Amino acid sequence: MNRLLSNKNLILTIGLTIFGIVLVVTLNPDGYLRVLLNLLTFAGIYGLSAIGLNVHFGWTGLLNFGHASFMGVGAYVTLLLIPHAAGREGDITTTGLPLFVALIIGIISAALFGLLLGLPAIRLRGDYLAIVTIAAAEIFRLLVRDLENITGGVYGIISYSQNLQQYRPAFVTNLATKFDIAPSQTWVCLIAWISIILVLLLLKRLSNSPWGRALRAVREDEDAVRAMGKNAVWLKLQSFMLGAGIAGLSGVLLAFNYGSLETTVFIPLLTFYVWAIMILGGVSSLVGPIFGSIIFWVIISETDRLAYIFFENANGQQLAGVRFLLVGFLIMILMIFRPSGLLGKKEELLLDVK
Amino acid sequence: MLDQLGNGLLLGTIISVASVALSLLYGVTRIVNFAHGEIIALGAIATLFFSSPVDYRIEFLGFIPPLGLSFAISCILAVLTCGFFGGLLELFLFRPLRKNNVGNIAVLVVTIGLSIFVRHLYLLFATGKVQNFPLELQRRQTYLFFDMTPRNLNVLIAGVIVMLLVGFFLTYTRIGKAMRAVRDSEDLSSVSGINSDNIILMTWVLSSMLAGLAGIFQATINDVRWNMGFLILLLIFAGTVLGGIGTSFGAMVGGFLIGIFVQVSVGLPFMEGHTEAKNAIALAIMIIILLFRPQGIFGQKERIS
Amino acid sequence: MSNKLIEVNNLKKSFGGLQAVDVESLVINDSELTSIIGPNGAGKTTFFDLISGFQSADSGKIVYKDKNISKLQPYQIARLGMIRTFQLTKVFDRMTVLENLLFSASSVKNDSLFRSLLSSNEQKNYEKDLNEEANRVMTELNISHMAESYARELSGGQKKLLELARSIIHKPEVLLLDEPLAGVNPKLAEDILNLIQKLSNDGISIIMVEHNIEAVMQISDRVVVLAEGSLIADGSPNEVRNNPEVIEAYLGKNDE
Repeated sequence: MNRLLSNKNLILTIGLTIFGIVLVVTLNPDGYLRVLLNLLTFAGIYGLSAIGLNVHFGWTGLLNFGHASFMGVGAYVTLLLIPHAAGREGDITTTGLPLFVALIIGIISAALFGLLLGLPAIRLRGDYLAIVTIAAAEIFRLLVRDLENITGGVYGIISYSQNLQQYRPAFVTNLATKFDIAPSQTWVCLIAWISIILVLLLLKRLSNSPWGRALRAVREDEDAVRAMGKNAVWLKLQSFMLGAGIAGLSGVLLAFNYGSLETTVFIPLLTFYVWAIMILGGVSSLVGPIFGSIIFWVIISETDRLAYIFFENANGQQLAGVRFLLVGFLIMILMIFRPSGLLGKKEELLLDVK
Repeated sequence: MLDQLGNGLLLGTIISVASVALSLLYGVTRIVNFAHGEIIALGAIATLFFSSPVDYRIEFLGFIPPLGLSFAISCILAVLTCGFFGGLLELFLFRPLRKNNVGNIAVLVVTIGLSIFVRHLYLLFATGKVQNFPLELQRRQTYLFFDMTPRNLNVLIAGVIVMLLVGFFLTYTRIGKAMRAVRDSEDLSSVSGINSDNIILMTWVLSSMLAGLAGIFQATINDVRWNMGFLILLLIFAGTVLGGIGTSFGAMVGGFLIGIFVQVSVGLPFMEGHTEAKNAIALAIMIIILLFRPQGIFGQKERIS
Repeated sequence: MSNKLIEVNNLKKSFGGLQAVDVESLVINDSELTSIIGPNGAGKTTFFDLISGFQSADSGKIVYKDKNISKLQPYQIARLGMIRTFQLTKVFDRMTVLENLLFSASSVKNDSLFRSLLSSNEQKNYEKDLNEEANRVMTELNISHMAESYARELSGGQKKLLELARSIIHKPEVLLLDEPLAGVNPKLAEDILNLIQKLSNDGISIIMVEHNIEAVMQISDRVVVLAEGSLIADGSPNEVRNNPEVIEAYLGKNDE
């Protein structure tokens, strides 16, 4: 029976996703390919981030509300290690590591940041962990903003895209030109989705492994795990680091999608987006975040036009407000009426304070 | 450092009142209310709405004429509005959730969603502009060892009086004692004939009114912004944690201390040019407390982990 | 004379004003089945928590196999060979019975993240061994038919069996059983009791907290009585049964 239900959910979800994409195409008759590319790119990046968050919340029951900071660590560390320009004067750094190496270091840094944050915080009860992670993310944001010499502060980092685009294969460029869409974004989009596939393969293997089994046991009953001689805290820390590393990767991709990076990117609202996507897709479902992300971005991008209809005199900031209005509403409604989201299983939900 | 003391006391007042409100709510309902900041903002925005013409409005709100009520009346109405809002939240959102045994974590996420939703409602209807109460500017004067404007001094005094009143209320009145009883044990208190639903409703109303008051204080001292609640929320958490979760007295003290720490830290040598990071100090304190003395100064050793 | 397995000295633990445990001296011997009995609230479970590391004492020393374990974490104590069960039976609800056992049997090294990433042949073979072990234990406890059931679907008694199975698959040296017979139907209780006896005969040292006095007297080598946190009796079942202080502790409060 469970099998049947989950198949039904999957079919419904896929159907909904396709409907969403068709909707976007219909509502944007001119240049729908460009809109679609943009949507898929953001969906991919945020989906990847949500996959990381799912490891925290879905697999381990950790309330991490500072996810944006893991993305930020990954992005900043990677970008600062490759040729770039930063700060008010646009100080140029011409030397740097090969992109791939910098990326690996960036991901590991994000994971280590997870370790640093997790070491003290993981023992805390659910709601306190939430507060601590928000606080830590805020400290990160303030530090980045103030250490202008290193991070470029509010002026940020620019001129780094070339590091990625230089690897863009010819077929991508040709394809993009043929369809009149941005080759650079196409490349980022492709990488994002390839990353998703690779990460999902990795997580699937881990899920079915002894480690995955141990993590599930920790989720069920930590004390029993300890009584069996296993270190529950270390297991939780490992999953925290894993999710953080995945988030770090998504942060780098986000930075490359924007082409320039500064302190207004990795803020709490970003974390809330990712939470909304994760809940929508279905907590602890492996592929849930992907569908959740696509559908989420369809909703978000198409309600912008709704905003124009209702609030003619509103300015740009207020239009963005409509977006967040929706995000907040979505989070509430989902949590109240369908906390298992699209693909999550009700029995797997961990909604009581540990 | 000392010239920041005045600012510290003022910030402390705001956080203190808001922390007591949050702590009261948490103690009785066990909900960490992330939407608390928005109720604080409501106090300020409602006061603004009642007391001055709101110029930039969305088209379809144009039919409401500027109210221009006296400032004092506006404040009172605003506080009542907040209490009303809190009551509505309890009746139509949190009570149904409670009756349906929705877990704490789900409720927490709901409050986060709620805070995002409400905050951006404010953005739409109160605009992103920084606005001020229609009060004339004053000059700072020196009192004892700090200086501030006379109005702000009044705020400080008002804050202290309110704290004393709340303390008195909780300790000596029947309702106050009932609140503390429900806080300590919902089962036991219902057995002794206390209707916990009513007490919880009253707690929401009281907590929201206090939050609204804190918002009015904040707007008087600084200004009215759509995201003023969110900006201060983390500091409130810090104050509550420092003072001790679940104790109103602790929240009072913790809130004051955080406010003072934050402002005074601006004067510290290594903070030169990094004044924005003053908030980070408070947050770091909070994290350290949670690690080494999670019950704060006055709290009881509750199960934190 | 048996060897000293666990030695407890001046162990104290209080909550607020209440002295939960105050044991001056207690020695648990190797290869014995020691039962701890006492009226409700006597501090038996707290005592277990203190020995197994789930709570830390206010003062005192606990020595296990000549090693001071007073400050160790629960998982560290478990790795030294002391496995415990819980008063409120703890099983992994959303995992099958088989998975419950596979997890318990799997070594810490095998559970490592890196190993699981690499997924070598060595791990596959190890997994096969784990399955064999699990099947063996399930057969021994007569729960093989439930292998694929989710633990939360089990009855109270079956959960106790699962918890036991999980504890012994680990081949412990000392088994701390917290009320293994509580809330179990008489037939199952008898089976569990026989199992405990068998484990004891196989050489596993057992410390058991139980309220079922008959069962306790039947299989224990030694009985220790706790009342209001302190030791009031310590000896063979018969000695304890006839001890007037013990009788008073159990019945005294109800005396009209």
